[in-house]
Amino acid sequence: MGIFWLKISEIKTQIRSNRASQQPKKMESRGQETEFRIPKIGIYTGKGASHSWLWFVEIFERLGFYNLCFLTEFDLVSDSLEKVDVLAVSGGDTFAIAEALGPQGARQLKTFITRGGLYLGSCAGAYLPLNSSKEHLNHFNFVPAKITNLTKTLPEAHGMREKFCTCYGCSFIFHAVREAVEVTTSGLPPFGESATFTAPLYGGPPMTVTNPASVMATYTAFTDKTLFLVDRKLAENTLLGNAAVIREKMGHGHLHLYGPHFEHPHFSKANLFLADAMMWDMPHQTAQTANPEDGMNILSGSEKQRFIRDFKRELSNSRIVAAGLEMLPLKWTIGSKVYETGKIRVFLEALWQRIRSFEKERLILVRADQNDLLVQTALHVTKSIRQIKKGWDQKADTLKTATLLFNLLNKTSALFLEIYFRSKLFHTDSAEVGARCIVPLLRRPGQFGKIEYEGSYGQIKKMVA
Amino acid sequence: MGIQIDALKCIACMACELACGYHRDDAFALLSSCIVPYRGREKKNYVGVILKEEDSLVAARPEGVEINRIGEEQDPEKEADASAKPMLLRESCDLCDDVDEGPLCITFCPTGAISMA
Amino acid sequence: MEYLASDKIAIVDLNTGDITEDELDEDLVLDKIGGAGITKHLYDQHAADNPIVLGTGLLTGTLVPGSSLGIMTAKSPSTGKVSHVPLNLDAGIELKYSGFDYIVIKGSADKPVYLWIHDGILDINDAGDLWGKDTWAATDHIRDEMGDDLIQVLSIGQAGEKASDLAQIGINYWQSADRSGFGKLCGEKNLKLIAIRGMGLLEISEPEAFVEDCAELIAAIRSNNTTQKQGIAAVSTALGEEDLGDWLAPLTHRHMACFNTPVATNTFIFTDEDPALLEETTVTEPGFLLTDIFPLVALKKAGLSAKDAGLVLKACAKYGIDGAAVAELSAKSGLTSPEEIEKTFPDLKGPVESAGKSVFSPWAAVGQGINADWERQQAVAYILGLHPIWYQMATELTEEKLLDLAGLGTEMEFTRETLDEVIGDILA
Repeated sequence: MGIFWLKISEIKTQIRSNRASQQPKKMESRGQETEFRIPKIGIYTGKGASHSWLWFVEIFERLGFYNLCFLTEFDLVSDSLEKVDVLAVSGGDTFAIAEALGPQGARQLKTFITRGGLYLGSCAGAYLPLNSSKEHLNHFNFVPAKITNLTKTLPEAHGMREKFCTCYGCSFIFHAVREAVEVTTSGLPPFGESATFTAPLYGGPPMTVTNPASVMATYTAFTDKTLFLVDRKLAENTLLGNAAVIREKMGHGHLHLYGPHFEHPHFSKANLFLADAMMWDMPHQTAQTANPEDGMNILSGSEKQRFIRDFKRELSNSRIVAAGLEMLPLKWTIGSKVYETGKIRVFLEALWQRIRSFEKERLILVRADQNDLLVQTALHVTKSIRQIKKGWDQKADTLKTATLLFNLLNKTSALFLEIYFRSKLFHTDSAEVGARCIVPLLRRPGQFGKIEYEGSYGQIKKMVA
Repeated sequence: MGIQIDALKCIACMACELACGYHRDDAFALLSSCIVPYRGREKKNYVGVILKEEDSLVAARPEGVEINRIGEEQDPEKEADASAKPMLLRESCDLCDDVDEGPLCITFCPTGAISMA
Repeated sequence: MEYLASDKIAIVDLNTGDITEDELDEDLVLDKIGGAGITKHLYDQHAADNPIVLGTGLLTGTLVPGSSLGIMTAKSPSTGKVSHVPLNLDAGIELKYSGFDYIVIKGSADKPVYLWIHDGILDINDAGDLWGKDTWAATDHIRDEMGDDLIQVLSIGQAGEKASDLAQIGINYWQSADRSGFGKLCGEKNLKLIAIRGMGLLEISEPEAFVEDCAELIAAIRSNNTTQKQGIAAVSTALGEEDLGDWLAPLTHRHMACFNTPVATNTFIFTDEDPALLEETTVTEPGFLLTDIFPLVALKKAGLSAKDAGLVLKACAKYGIDGAAVAELSAKSGLTSPEEIEKTFPDLKGPVESAGKSVFSPWAAVGQGINADWERQQAVAYILGLHPIWYQMATELTEEKLLDLAGLGTEMEFTRETLDEVIGDILA
């Protein structure tokens, strides 16, 4: 209990002196000594993003990569990318993302990559920078790869009609399969050996490239979990042998484009591959980041408890309604994406599972009135979910409320996670975290050696090739 | 081979839900269970059992069993439309393949409302 | 307390609106085990503030057959004795998973309030909109406002609001086992209702051994044909009470069990719909769930039809008045029509025959009546969290077995001596 009587300034001094005493690790990598550090990763949560960005959060947290920030389209259009090493864009509505970023966002993104930044695009995020003449997408055109699931004549759908295709101007993008598919890594530098594992596909692109060295992984087979949305032969022709993951250099930086969701938390081998690739290609120049506590209000004691209780109250209220909605056959098409009621719980559970550890932090760091804003946003989430339940009971249309709700869920989640990771970073000994992810840079190029990650949720353990 | 449910024998005791939840979480909890007695119509006393299988959603109603393929749209007026992927976050039934005695829901159902087909 | 618990006790002061939380000390559990053992202890600690203590048994919410019980402990305003009311149906399990092990409610609010207990959060909310509503309307209102049909609601009706000695705290739309006038106590505290919903998780110390034992128990129970008796009429007969079978059969729709209780001790009758209907009825209130044997027996003996008995008990549940007391007193007055009986509610007064004879609710004194053996059985049920009627039928659930299970679940050792001591404290 005595810790609560330490002055905040004393705690800050203590943490700073810990950091100062830790020299950056010097490791052998690519035959040279290089400094090693935790990447600053920006995760896109703005317009067009669905829920799968939460998967990036999950795997980065397991790896101990707590230096995360959550960026909307407004952040990308401004200068926020100057402060990150990596930008991760996961699934959602590619057209909505492209429209939201616009030409200014595309320019910022190009500058970020050419200066040395790493772009990780998964599913919708993979489509975004591919060459295209279509409106909004035509501001990007960073990667000269083609997709193999583009057609003028829509094939026959064998299931999930609402998720089977997306309009693409006068053509269609169709999705041949969903769920787990088998991929094989290419074994080309920088990754020495080939490996085969599974990853889930939910509408991401199969690609062809002119330069075979760009291919990091190929679709090689289907699994017994694969759900066919078209004739099997067509699915084989569309996917097998084509690129699942490509790596493209642009200026000093790189783009990694993933068709399947290598960031899905249930696919640990795919997670490790993504993390490895990221650590290899992330910029080695430090993106200048401030200490997490700079400019922040620090909440402690009863103020901290009140904030967490108020937030937890609304999260619980929302979660209770969401658990009931989960059983209902409600779904909404928002933009070009279909949202089910279960997706509401995806957001809420991602926050709920972190509440307990959040409660245990000694101090919480918030910017300005972020704590009040978080509680208010969570309250709006509760109101919206309850409105949907009422709408269902009264057989009323709930699309407008659902659109608002998913927007609010993105906002609430990003805001909570920003506070959560900032506070976590503040409390974490950077040397300890650094030690956990040190191993991939010990490998020499062309050699996969033994890799160990110890994440805080313990699900990423070992990968031995 | 799969789970069969006779909703007329069900007394809505939720033993199956708790047993399945234990199978998922190694603790007593209800959120992860793939078999759920439906209790939402308390004043009308309308009770059924919902089971999430790999490809389908089984709704065992008193008037009969309905099986819908997950991901395929049924009658938009009907409830439990599997194209909406109800129970999205729950795993599908694995028949407790790692339990020697077989499905725990069958073990703990007191009335024999659940059995193996 | 690491296992089979949420490790949280809440102390609610309705005078000030303050809520404090404590951990559930393992030493307390070793000493008092759980359920009524601990609710009684907490009552004694806060007795000066006339508390209501909510709790659950040590084994409530587990796979032990019949582990459905919640407990409400308070001083009965009608008898003056510290009494324990069992909370069955799904109320006990919801309380167990609500994030709190025990809740002490002290003092009185100066205007109507309700408690909303959810996932380790306890809110005191304004009940201005609810005061004056019957229990059905109050339950509907809360479920509608909170957006969930599975919220368990312990509420008082007009009987409790008007401080009737016969006021009962009900469970959702149904009669509870409250024969102690806790409805009046809640009314005096301006506490309209307690709404509970929880999605918690209980860790088990030795999960495989615990669940294996539970599986053996349920297998033994099934092989002994105990589960052949389903429904309130069958239970009544099995325990040596009046045969209600033929009387209820024409209206019987379905038998409903309390949580994880192998024998359904409740029966839903349709008074305004064809009971043979399998599809969901379009009638909003087609009937009533019968949860209490004694008023049924009394009303049957008074010559009422099963339908009229159902209508009387439904009216009792809505008004929040003890149906057993109503049945007993109406029989004495010779009233037989539901409408006439309902008119007596506002002015109905005791004495009622079984009042104050035990600290445990006579709702479960089916067949054998209240005696020392019955009281010990009830004590064990209330401490460990077992359905008090089911426990009388389940010869497989020996005290030794239950103490073993308590140990497997919690990594603690509970002896017969401790159990005897706790029972002694409760009955003192």
